[in-house]
Amino acid sequence: MELQLTAAFLNAMVLQAGQAAIPPATGAAIGFGLAAIGAGYAERSIGSAAVGAIAEDRGMLGYGVLLTVIPETIVIFGLVVVFLLQ
Amino acid sequence: MNTTVDTANYGYVTARVRVRRAALFDEDDYRKLVRMGPGEIARFMEETEYETEMNALGSRHDGVDLIEYALNRNLAKHFDDLLTFAGGELYENIARYLRKFDAWNVKTIIRGVYTDAGQQTIADDLIRAGAFSDELLDRLTESTSIEMVVEQLSNTIFGPALEAAYSDYEETDVLVPLENAIDRAFYSELLGDVPENPSEPTKLYVQLLRAEIDFRNIRNALRLARSGADIDPSEYFISGGQLFEESELEQLTTNVGQLTEYLRHSSYGSDLEGALDELEEADSLIEFERALDQALLEYTDALTNRHHLSICPVIAYIRAKEREVDNIRAIARGKEAGLTGEQIEEELVIV
Repeated sequence: MELQLTAAFLNAMVLQAGQAAIPPATGAAIGFGLAAIGAGYAERSIGSAAVGAIAEDRGMLGYGVLLTVIPETIVIFGLVVVFLLQ
Repeated sequence: MNTTVDTANYGYVTARVRVRRAALFDEDDYRKLVRMGPGEIARFMEETEYETEMNALGSRHDGVDLIEYALNRNLAKHFDDLLTFAGGELYENIARYLRKFDAWNVKTIIRGVYTDAGQQTIADDLIRAGAFSDELLDRLTESTSIEMVVEQLSNTIFGPALEAAYSDYEETDVLVPLENAIDRAFYSELLGDVPENPSEPTKLYVQLLRAEIDFRNIRNALRLARSGADIDPSEYFISGGQLFEESELEQLTTNVGQLTEYLRHSSYGSDLEGALDELEEADSLIEFERALDQALLEYTDALTNRHHLSICPVIAYIRAKEREVDNIRAIARGKEAGLTGEQIEEELVIV
């Protein structure tokens, strides 16, 4: 579903822009969005495991939060690309 | 159930289970416990995991009985928790596995009724962790005859098997046929419900159960081979394992040497190596059975390390927790009977 939407979106972009298939800013935005989706997907199961561990032992809170946000770094890389293009 | 929910749920359940597994007593705790008397053990337990149960039961029981009932109740609490954590397929599989406490409870009730133990005594010995409701268990403990127990169980998984075994019981007046029927009903149900084309997680679950059935068959086979009694081994054979065929077992139980050789070349050969060496050296069945328990725990742990987001950690926890309860009970009962520390230590299975 997501892939189909992206393909339709890309087609529309090709028609509009004429020469470049995707304008640089749009490409950066798509990259950023995909990175965020990936991070969310990764955090889902880490988060549920972290909540499980914290429920058993409050001392795990620090580790739990730390491990849960590690995939967040991918989003930062996506953001870096956006800044590089500006 | 939606697969995304399922994978996240595996993470949640295994994280909780692993924390609990880590909180189980370790070798140091056991070393301390072995040196204590029954009163000290009770006091030690009040400061651990078992505090709530010890306090709740403290007014009604004392001494080793208190320890034992607190252990049972704690076990039931933890296993009930597992069911509240899990969802979907994981829930189904855990619930099916925990039916073994239904089998245990039915056996306890039948034995209790057989010896006229009294309702309260039977109820104290139950472990309320299975699928049976409290009402059903209470009604069962109120039964005055074994026939009543069998009748009330007619709608459960044990119904048909118990009814078939009841006439045997009436003829011989021993409980063995009924208890065998319960065990077999439990194990056939365990693997019988599994869908034809099981998903990956369920396949693992089946693998774990097969190991358990195989180990049980090994134990029964060795006991039979050692006793030399003229008993038909197929009466004790539990089907569903991958190690033995019923006909093979019959041949093997006539000769201990042949049986150990067969085990050495089976797929569990490397897992059981230590246990088999011990059997050949010490020539003692107790040692071997202990080593067998240890091997099963290690096998489950090995699977846990290979498949960390699966039912394996949960089953490994259930087995380890059961071992802990058995160990503490052995220590307390051993102390009560006046055994020495070394003698008790030989009985413990520590992983």
